[in-house]
Amino acid sequence: MSANLNAARVTAPGSNLAVVMRRVLTDGAGVVAILYVVLFALYALWDRSALTASGVTNLSNNAAPLALAAAGESLVVISKGFDLSVSGVVSLSNVLMATYPLEGPGGALVSLMICLAVGGAIGAINGVLVAILRLQSIAATLGTMIMCQGLALVIMDAPGGTVADWVSYTLTDVIFGVIPISGLIVLAVIALWLVFRRTDTCIALFAVGADETAASLSGISVVRARVTAFVGAGLLYGLAGFMLSAQTATGNPTAGTPFLMLTFAAVALGGVSLTGGRGSLVGAVIGAATLMLLQKVLFSGGVSSFYTGIFQGAVMVLAIVFGSLILRLASTGARA
Amino acid sequence: MTSTRPSAALQAPADTRRIGRIRSETISTAAIFVLTIILILASRFVSPALGSWDQVDTIITLASFLIVVAFGQGLVILVGGLDLSIASMITLGGVLSTTWNGSFGSEWALIPAVLVICACIGALNAVGVIWLNIPPFIMTMAMGIIVASAALGYTSGTPRGAAPDAFLALMKGSIGSLSAVLIFVLVFVLLAWTLQSATAFGRRLYAVGANREAARIAGIATWRPIMVAYALSAACAGFAGMMLVGYANGATLRMGDSYLLPSIASVVIGGSSILGGRGSFAGSVGGAILLTTLGTVIAALGMQQGWRTVIEGAIIVGALLLLREDLIVKLRSAR
Amino acid sequence: MTIFRRLFTTTCVAAGALAVAFTVGAGSASADEPKKFKIFLSLSYSGNAWQSEAANIVKALAETPPYNKLVDLKEVISGTDPQAQIAAYESMIDAKADGIVSFPISSTALNRTVKRGCEKGVLFFMYDATVTEPCAYNVSYITAGFGENTAQALVNALNGNGKIFLSRGVPGNSVDKRHTDGAMHIFKKYPGIQVVAEYYSYWDDRTTQQETAKALAAHPDVDGIWAQAGEYGAIQALRDKGTRLVPMTGENSNGFRLALANPEAQKDGLKGVSSGSPPATAGYAFKLMMEILTKKRDLKPMNIQYPLPWVPADQVKLCKGDTFEDGCNTFPEGKVPSSFVTEVFNPVFLPELSLKSALDGAPTPGKTIQPLPAEVVKAPNEPGINCQKCEPPADLYKLTKVQPTVKP
Repeated sequence: MSANLNAARVTAPGSNLAVVMRRVLTDGAGVVAILYVVLFALYALWDRSALTASGVTNLSNNAAPLALAAAGESLVVISKGFDLSVSGVVSLSNVLMATYPLEGPGGALVSLMICLAVGGAIGAINGVLVAILRLQSIAATLGTMIMCQGLALVIMDAPGGTVADWVSYTLTDVIFGVIPISGLIVLAVIALWLVFRRTDTCIALFAVGADETAASLSGISVVRARVTAFVGAGLLYGLAGFMLSAQTATGNPTAGTPFLMLTFAAVALGGVSLTGGRGSLVGAVIGAATLMLLQKVLFSGGVSSFYTGIFQGAVMVLAIVFGSLILRLASTGARA
Repeated sequence: MTSTRPSAALQAPADTRRIGRIRSETISTAAIFVLTIILILASRFVSPALGSWDQVDTIITLASFLIVVAFGQGLVILVGGLDLSIASMITLGGVLSTTWNGSFGSEWALIPAVLVICACIGALNAVGVIWLNIPPFIMTMAMGIIVASAALGYTSGTPRGAAPDAFLALMKGSIGSLSAVLIFVLVFVLLAWTLQSATAFGRRLYAVGANREAARIAGIATWRPIMVAYALSAACAGFAGMMLVGYANGATLRMGDSYLLPSIASVVIGGSSILGGRGSFAGSVGGAILLTTLGTVIAALGMQQGWRTVIEGAIIVGALLLLREDLIVKLRSAR
Repeated sequence: MTIFRRLFTTTCVAAGALAVAFTVGAGSASADEPKKFKIFLSLSYSGNAWQSEAANIVKALAETPPYNKLVDLKEVISGTDPQAQIAAYESMIDAKADGIVSFPISSTALNRTVKRGCEKGVLFFMYDATVTEPCAYNVSYITAGFGENTAQALVNALNGNGKIFLSRGVPGNSVDKRHTDGAMHIFKKYPGIQVVAEYYSYWDDRTTQQETAKALAAHPDVDGIWAQAGEYGAIQALRDKGTRLVPMTGENSNGFRLALANPEAQKDGLKGVSSGSPPATAGYAFKLMMEILTKKRDLKPMNIQYPLPWVPADQVKLCKGDTFEDGCNTFPEGKVPSSFVTEVFNPVFLPELSLKSALDGAPTPGKTIQPLPAEVVKAPNEPGINCQKCEPPADLYKLTKVQPTVKP
């Protein structure tokens, strides 16, 4: 979390509520969460079905793959890097799921392991290229992305295949009638993050992202931190591909291509600083959800199809401006 | 991207170590060109007609668009930013120059007008980055989406009109026995490299990119070089769009998309640091030509597209591994 | 506590501003007139001539009487992300659409959502690209054998011998795969035919030009080119290189057809056939859907085949006016850009259209909607294209437009 938080704890008088509010707002995730709430309110205003169980489930199923991909990307970005291989891993895992469907919950578990293994392996390769061989992350991951994309095309040269029924029916379903399972999976990842947040490895990640030289001088293994970030990211991309396969129920060798730009947009929208050292995985997840929600808001708002792009771009810019405005207001308040 | 961390002053400056009497940066740039030539010669195994002057001419023509765009992108990366709007600026330049062709009066008024419009949009990017503190990634991405959408709406999905004659002549014509594009590329590379590496303006760009705080303390109004960099990037992209329109005699609304990642790749492969402050345009040119050559050779391989793509990615990673500056230093010092 | 008051105010103002902005930009409010059908036109790709023309003719038909009083048409562009189109379909289903006429981005990823929509009573009509979901209607020429027929025509023109280029579409796409598989089925029969270069042109003129230029650098002695959309770029690439042209087959851009009929080009060696994807399928699909909605036709979900366009060089005929009349099939140079896709008109299925409909989406003054011919042609089963668990017919690659003049 940012340095402002510590300042707030030490200097700000006032109730616990003020401290909590300030913490929520200075964390990039808080700002994008407010944006999400505003957009959802608009969406519910214009589309009655937004508040139904099926409406919420659709939103969750739609956003889950991007949310997981953005979660993974945020790890790399926090440690000051760019990971372009997200689209390659997603395509590869989607294609594997559809070419080798394994039935039943046991089969789904094995499929999941395969996706995670593929993602983790690519992440490890990225980690070696960037942390040990000292290539620039944007270029090295571009290379691995292209290779993964090619592998996906080799496995499946045109869309087709079928994902196992258990995966595509159960994972897009709800439990207790209202809670979407895809949403639970994303929440599980967030829970893991909140636990991971307190470990030394995570602090090392932030330190390396903020200032690599200083981190290394204080004894942190930069190589280990970076490799952890890439492998963790790769695992999450594999999971994202798994969830994407559940939603589309088929394989597509270019399934991951749209993820490239969207993932970075989600990460930046979620308050993760692209220069490293600041931000939260939670923010990236909410950023992804916001981007997917924006499409539906624009639809139900009746925006003309040619000009949706203008609104999307404007919302992104306004969200960031709004966010930094709040940041400044909150930190001014902290010093009061 | 501001660097306010205390050890920012310790950030590695441009590598001016001299090995013998040649800077290692120059060696890595030369290495790119050597790699490209090796690739061209090796492609003779793929097809006997390759490895010839004809192929080189084709490659330079096809790489010309990327070279122009890589210059602009390189300037923005140099000052520590990133320009993701160039895809839409290429499209905008192409679309405006064809749609307004004929109804604008003379071509010689149309072309500068389009370039000025592109530059203004680039300046808007700079305004967002400098004063609104929006990360360049988001600012330029959002601007790109907005401009693409505006172009879509303005043309209602169907861009119409013919390319300006000047660009038709540029892309199709020849001067003597050399194609006009080749001469243009040579002149452009010379001028651009001079601007970036041999003028005071260029030095200011390097200074701002290496350490913005230090540059500010040293008296440089940091916003000026940054704004000019973004404006030039957008203008270069618009110009490349007009070149594309001259090549194909028509504009389409997604014509810039396939140049975004390659522009960044050219700059980074060419030795510039994504963090700014280092790199030269000569390297970017080498990167652009290497990527185009790679594409040409890969396309000539007679295998399934999937494997072709894997090989392309592997060669890029391989090139990156070979072109590492510390490797070159190690090799030289191990003599 | 001033910060919170400031914060609260800022949030409210921002939310209010957003709401105002959206309402202003939202266009006319949907005051529900009774009995107007809610139809959505769902595009994925956009911004090339083919997509724009297809969308424009649907818009033109929706404004042609009597449909202008019956139809409330909304266009939605989702882009190349399948998830965006999934989200769009879901929003349309929730908005109680009566029918969705769409160019689907994926033949399989949208199936679940389409099925849900069908269960809610929405009619899905896909044009040109298809989905494998059985409850959707597919209206397409894909099954009509573009690949194999054009390949045979090229082989005939080359007398069974020669080096050829294959200019394909988008990698990983089922339409491209179907066309190429059909073409390769024919080419493989002739040992004298050598595919020396195979590249992906993304159905775009300029990319075709660039990729063909690269292929020419490696194989300047090419004898013929088999191309999917973007074929005019191949001609430009040949012209860039020298004056020699070669026999070519391609799709139906106006520039290609004009070149085929041009005596100078023919002298330089150009001959061939213009076939390919007709944007008219969009209009045909829309009219079929409307006839079902207005109870003039009873049709269960099925795959419908649109006839394959087929214009050899000697059958290119310039149009004098703004429509395809008297059997004309190409517009004079300068009237439309060379990338204009000519098979957007069909005097039998779509007599209500004129050039303005294709270019601007405007209805043709004085025309009213004419009924379609009663018969619809059923498309053969092609797994992965228009059906899931099905078998293709034994004569999948049969030739319908041209017979081999050369023995394999």
